[in-house]
Amino acid sequence: MTTVDMRYTGSALDRVEGLEKVTGRARYAFENFPADLVYAVPVQAAIARGEIRAVDVDAVLEHPGVIAAIWYGNAPRLVPSDNADLAVFQSRRVAYRGQYIAVVVAETYEEAKEAARLLRVEYAAEDHDVRLRADHPNMYRPEKVNPNYPTDTEHGDPDTALTVAPVLVDATYSTPAEHNNPMEPHATVAEWDGDALTLYDSTQGASGVRDTVAPLFGVPPANVRVISPHVGGGFGSKGGPSPYVIIAALAARHVGRPVKLAVTRQQMFAVTGYRTPTIQRVRLGANADGRLTAIVHDAFEQSSTITEFAEQTTTPTRIMYAAPHRRTTHRLVRLDVPTPSWMRAPGECPGMFALESAMDELAIACQIDPVELRIRNEPDADPESGLPFSSRNLVACLREGARRFGWADRDPAPGVRRRDRLLIGTGVAASTYPVYRRPSQATAQAHRDGRFTVRIAAADIGTGARTVLTQIAADTLRTSPDQVLVEIGDSALPAASLAGGSMGTASWGTAVVRACEALVEGLDRRDGDLPAAGMESSADTTEEIGAQRRLSRHAFGAQFAEVGVDTDTGETRVLRLLGVFAAGRIINPKTARSQFIGGMTMGLSMALFEESIMDLEFGDYLNRDLAQYHVAACADVRDIEALWVEEDDPHLNPMGTKGIGEIGIVGTAAAVANAVHHATGVRIRDLPIRLDKLMR
Amino acid sequence: MSKAMSMDFLRPMTWAEALAAKAADPEARPILGGTDVMVELNFDRSRPSALLDLTAIPELAEWELRDGVVRLGAGVPYSRIITELGDLLPGLAIASRTVGSPQIRNRATVGGNLGSASPAGDAHPALLAAGAEVEVESVRGVRIIAVDEFFLGPKRSALQPGELIRAIGIPVTGGPQQFSKIGTRNAMVIAVCSFGIALHPAQRRVGTGIGSAAPTPLRAHAAEEFLGAELDWDGPLDRAVANRFGELVAAAASPIDDVRGTAAYRRHALSVLARRTLTWSWEEYRCV
Amino acid sequence: MRVTFTVNGSQQTVDDVWEGESLLYVLRERCGLPGSKNACEQGECGSCTVYLDGSPVCACLVAAGQAEGRTVRTVEGLSDTGLDPVQEAFLDAGAVQCGFCTPGLIVQAHDLLERVPDPEDAEIREALAGNLCRCTGYEKILDAVRLAAARRTAK
Repeated sequence: MTTVDMRYTGSALDRVEGLEKVTGRARYAFENFPADLVYAVPVQAAIARGEIRAVDVDAVLEHPGVIAAIWYGNAPRLVPSDNADLAVFQSRRVAYRGQYIAVVVAETYEEAKEAARLLRVEYAAEDHDVRLRADHPNMYRPEKVNPNYPTDTEHGDPDTALTVAPVLVDATYSTPAEHNNPMEPHATVAEWDGDALTLYDSTQGASGVRDTVAPLFGVPPANVRVISPHVGGGFGSKGGPSPYVIIAALAARHVGRPVKLAVTRQQMFAVTGYRTPTIQRVRLGANADGRLTAIVHDAFEQSSTITEFAEQTTTPTRIMYAAPHRRTTHRLVRLDVPTPSWMRAPGECPGMFALESAMDELAIACQIDPVELRIRNEPDADPESGLPFSSRNLVACLREGARRFGWADRDPAPGVRRRDRLLIGTGVAASTYPVYRRPSQATAQAHRDGRFTVRIAAADIGTGARTVLTQIAADTLRTSPDQVLVEIGDSALPAASLAGGSMGTASWGTAVVRACEALVEGLDRRDGDLPAAGMESSADTTEEIGAQRRLSRHAFGAQFAEVGVDTDTGETRVLRLLGVFAAGRIINPKTARSQFIGGMTMGLSMALFEESIMDLEFGDYLNRDLAQYHVAACADVRDIEALWVEEDDPHLNPMGTKGIGEIGIVGTAAAVANAVHHATGVRIRDLPIRLDKLMR
Repeated sequence: MSKAMSMDFLRPMTWAEALAAKAADPEARPILGGTDVMVELNFDRSRPSALLDLTAIPELAEWELRDGVVRLGAGVPYSRIITELGDLLPGLAIASRTVGSPQIRNRATVGGNLGSASPAGDAHPALLAAGAEVEVESVRGVRIIAVDEFFLGPKRSALQPGELIRAIGIPVTGGPQQFSKIGTRNAMVIAVCSFGIALHPAQRRVGTGIGSAAPTPLRAHAAEEFLGAELDWDGPLDRAVANRFGELVAAAASPIDDVRGTAAYRRHALSVLARRTLTWSWEEYRCV
Repeated sequence: MRVTFTVNGSQQTVDDVWEGESLLYVLRERCGLPGSKNACEQGECGSCTVYLDGSPVCACLVAAGQAEGRTVRTVEGLSDTGLDPVQEAFLDAGAVQCGFCTPGLIVQAHDLLERVPDPEDAEIREALAGNLCRCTGYEKILDAVRLAAARRTAK
């Protein structure tokens, strides 16, 4: 099935939009200035649960420049949908603190901001419940987990197997709420022309935003155009339209002028999604030789009262290791908290922290090297579905990583290696991420001057999508990349799946290949004789993807970390980080390496810093800015390297790719935590690895 | 007309004009590097009646050495303290290097950070340890406030209505000085806790300053007295003395649990920082 | 209020500036120079780094009125002809991903190389300490600064 020749695919083509970005000319959503525009500043709920009794709209309308103030009491009604988060201003209810409950529109940003600050809102507050705990009485079993996995699975008799297992690990891990924090805060510029809406939005999927927004305003999707050529990162938080998009469109329609709306960094902590905190109990039963007999992984998570988002935390456990007896479960509680959503590798990322920490604990319990332990439990086929793996090279990653990292002579004893004030330790963890592919459409057009234009409503959120699609198109068209213009980031282009689930290249690439193949065929038929208007072919991959063979398709990797922990203060620094990945064919080593390392760095950040702290009294996230929510800075990342092993998997897509956007973050935190244990003898089961936890 | 629209932007060109402007509108918010004030404005936390921009007043950006005291103009940015005052004020220079980022250090000033009186201000422990004095002025005249009497509470200082910070007087001790802070990250860190120490060999005295471990930056008086009595200025540092010093510094703090760390951790870390900085200073002192 | 300052070599007079506004807002919303990015509004991320009278600063923390009579240089004005070596190196090293932190990083790296033509890695990390990037993991950015330094010294 892998059909694309490797001529330009596989080469380190420079990012095609790089010039615009280094000169500051690339235009992001908020940098659009339609004529006659006005500014919207939304107002956030100051209670965590209750009702809005009244909003004193009239008072702010007297302020200079103020054009409108909109809330439930005077908002136009939207067409009801099943997405309660997007039903902005359609109810008096407040579901969480920080929820957008009103918006002020004014001639200038300053006037809107001032009026929003002064807008008086009268609430009837109710007691709120914002604390996740595993024994919460309202824990329930959701119907499915994101995006569409079974909630629970069970094979064999895990309870008995755990009882009789010669070696047992039974530990509870927790991960905090984390916020995506792409560098570009979410923003949109909305402009109506009659019944037609244009949105300049910062989004991971223009087609999806169009399809979601249009019905809310009762217009056909064709009437909505979403333009998003450059996106300053998303990491899941720009996967679908967040409430601010609807507010901008609603406000623009209400005042009859284009509206600019920027979500502030602080507001992002409530209104643009986050990774749910998790509590996870992992039980591993094994023989003395480390062979697993039972794996049980139970996850407890939260969602908001208005939207069920059930993260798939234990799904990686379903495919990682062989064991005859196994169970995975997810339980959810609906709290008065903002709605969690996708954040880079939802499910895999927190889930693998728990599983891979537990595997380290098992290695110690069995006195087996942790690399060897994982190799010993390598399954022949998908342990739960029984399906063959399309390819699985975890063992190769572990071996190659161990060799490169200098793992062979590792002394397993914890807390014994000193270098000046530091205790030194090393750790390993496995990574995995599923291979998804979604239907997309694309067109390819040949021009008489020998150049080509390829069109698809894909999104480049910094991944390099525009660049790799150029390479894929060039090879399929048997031309060079400088002859190919790839147009993306606009819902007016052929519809495409979103940039998420590490499936962009696989999904869009397949459509681009099929469109280009059809064009080449057409050109061959005409012997290269083109009409004046050129020639265009199109493709829709719905059928192809629907017909694909059932296999277990996953990327794998191994991460190795070395840490130094200050013996007196607990300050922890990651001295070395190495990731080795098996992710199919790599289209562009330059952009790919950056994606892997970027993911690993976010994993390092998760291990040591990232934590959104819920204020139990007020019910919102306390540390809602970049001074208090720490992400890794340049000085935190020292010796970091990402490599990949050759992997030729014919069962994927025409390019032979597996997707690389998320696997880099999976496993990193466990590798770091395992290294911290090796350094200090202290097992940190609750992220992040804060100084004070090491000095207790 | 709303309040926002009526904010004034005042830009005195001389110190006298600045004092007059502050007298005319005591609510006017002085602004130097903007690293505290602009965050307040950007985040909509405060709306002063006016911004009083002091960056056009030349003498605020100057420093001079007279009678063993550096008179540091309130508007000298940290980047200049690092490059120009490392020899005279080593403790403050070390602390200055840990302030924010290069961009922040190019703008932020000791005077400005004193004005906002943050418990986590990086310069404050070094000023406390050195025994600095804050020179404040209004149209009523000049007042000199010892820096350990300057901080009254979180973000509250001894500045009275109409007063502006003109300069900070920092004695040149001639002895070793150190500053150390604990942070989770390697850069751009608000201190979990910090500690500054200054040896005053001529007076056979040690100055201390604690940051981020109490409602205000503060001195560890008992620890200073202990060292004053127990230190053998002619011999090596007694490990037991250093340990006890650490304990007394920790005891002086009244930290809280917060996002950045627990109170217990802060106390522990302070004792480590105190012991360490004393050891480093002592090594330097013995080598001179 | 009215603010007059020099930006990228030409004098600009901007009217109706709100007194509490930042230089960043003036550049982005009033001067047609959105190259400097707004990402945190508190000087934590460095995305808005510009030169103010020759020193790199966070434009979000400069009050608009403080720019009166001063000289500002943004990423858009870094090079009169073609690309500055730092911009070129960011392209060649693959140091750009989403691009939102890029303008600030380029101005900050440009200043480093003006002051320290051949920096050690530690100096680079220190200089870039206040520029957050969420995509790249910084490795390629370090590569780019090393590359730019090497090319500048070779010239």
